Amino acid sequence: MPPRSSSIVLGLALVGVVAGLALLAPWLVEDPNRVDLGSVLAAPSSAHWLGTDGLGRDVAARLAYGARISVTIGFMAAFLSVLIGLPIGAIAGYAGGSADAAISRLIEATLCFPSLVITIALLSVGPSWLLGFSEPTRIALALSVVGWTPAARYLRAEFRRLGASQAIASARASGAGHARIIVRHLLPQSLGPVLVTLAFGVGAGALAEATLSFVGVGISLPTASWGELLFQALHQVGRAWWLAVFPGAALFTLVLGCNELAEGIRVWLDPRKRST
Amino acid sequence: MLPAIATRIATAAITLLLVTIVVFALLCALPGDASGEDEASRPLPPEYRAALRAHYHLDDPWPLRYGRWLGDLLRGDLGTSFTAQRPVTTLLRDRFAVSLALNALALLGMVGLAVPLGILGAWKPEGAWDRTGWIATSALHAVPVFWIAILLQWLFAVRLGWLPLAGVASDGARHASEARAFLDAVWHLVLPATCLASGGLAYVSRFVRTNLVESTAGDGGRAARARGLSTLQYVVRHGLLQAVVPLLTLAGFLIPRLVGGSLLVEQMFNVPGLGSLLFASILSRDLPVVLALTLVSGLATLAGTTLSDVLIVWLDPRVRHAA
Repeated sequence: MPPRSSSIVLGLALVGVVAGLALLAPWLVEDPNRVDLGSVLAAPSSAHWLGTDGLGRDVAARLAYGARISVTIGFMAAFLSVLIGLPIGAIAGYAGGSADAAISRLIEATLCFPSLVITIALLSVGPSWLLGFSEPTRIALALSVVGWTPAARYLRAEFRRLGASQAIASARASGAGHARIIVRHLLPQSLGPVLVTLAFGVGAGALAEATLSFVGVGISLPTASWGELLFQALHQVGRAWWLAVFPGAALFTLVLGCNELAEGIRVWLDPRKRST
Repeated sequence: MLPAIATRIATAAITLLLVTIVVFALLCALPGDASGEDEASRPLPPEYRAALRAHYHLDDPWPLRYGRWLGDLLRGDLGTSFTAQRPVTTLLRDRFAVSLALNALALLGMVGLAVPLGILGAWKPEGAWDRTGWIATSALHAVPVFWIAILLQWLFAVRLGWLPLAGVASDGARHASEARAFLDAVWHLVLPATCLASGGLAYVSRFVRTNLVESTAGDGGRAARARGLSTLQYVVRHGLLQAVVPLLTLAGFLIPRLVGGSLLVEQMFNVPGLGSLLFASILSRDLPVVLALTLVSGLATLAGTTLSDVLIVWLDPRVRHAA
């Protein structure tokens, strides 16, 4: 099914469900850190809708509070990545020449190194500039250190394409300076791809957070996160299916929502595809 | 054409050099070092630590140490691992074979599934197959790899018992014949390779589909239909060839993902590959090993992108004549 603008509706709905869960967590569920050793690894029941984890904590509660972490870090990581990538891509695309060559090498070099490894290293070794931030911010920052390349690449390509257009040539002819051309003419026209990158980035950020917490360098205990639940699931394979299925489904919902939203925006912005 | 290729290779080499410099500087800037200063559990006597630091030149400024490493590298010496006390080359060799096998299997599975899926989608755009394929790959794209790993382990290893849960060899495989040991290893790698392939499947199949649909809708496709070819005939005979070039570009970008992206899968399935070695060496500040792995990962990536660039020039007459 080629993407169509209904993807936006589907995406918004899916992201909305998770965001709603995150926002309303205190009213929907009990305390996610209440340990009940009497009902460890209890299957879903009327007392615990989604069962309990290895310490008898309510999975539904940890899922709802984990949604806060996932959504927050997803958004922060995406925004920070775009914030870093935007000026870099803009300089490369607008200036061209040696600046473009240098930045292109930088992007290529960043892509050379496995990003997950860099993020894990940054978080587990903890350079001093990172340690001053709160935990979610720290994770988002570490993710954006490697996550800025897509935004930079898209903006560079967009600026190069637009920079050659007649509209920009006439703006330059009418005496507009570099700053005016970038801010008034180029940026507004290239916001589409940036928006798409942002939407994809939220999903990717949430996924990366879960991965990091799953590996053990993300959100530290006892704070609830989806990755931590999935980590427990790894060690209960075949014993507690609810630990694997529910957080996985929640993550799936959020990431699918973001991806659909991004695809929808992309199609919506491209009149050529919209008409077909 | 040749000068263009030479320039491409030269820039790739410079990029690789820059990557190693940055990684070296970063590792030196991180707190703690290989003499284990941050290991509070097992303190070393100061004079012993000083001897260690002197032996590994840990007190020299990093540019000097980098120069020494580069000099050794040019003589073909990758150094000795700080932690394993073995030459880095022998340390890497076994792991490289495992990673290569894992990634080759994953790539084979991915392309083997993605190309037919893409053709199926492009055959009748917006048809039932196209829609089903799109929904399935959308869903698959949003599933975290480690979740797939947990579910696969549960279903195939625990519940059905068809495939091994983890590791790369059965207990008796060491004494079995070479062919049997190889089959045994492949058998162990089926589940991890499936996980590794799942991430890129959506990406590649959509890529194939979109390119096929675009080329079918273009002049070439119209001319072929005028000659009486069906869409499927056109796709197989002409469309695929046109999709090869963009696919190669994509492949160039997928290689680094395969090299580094296998870390999680390696950890979960207990596969001794390059990803887990890189992770462990960063944590223990095993500089020679980290640098060697950076070189391998960087070389694979740059070789991939450079090769795809060169192949595109060679395959695409429009680019070839423009260059």
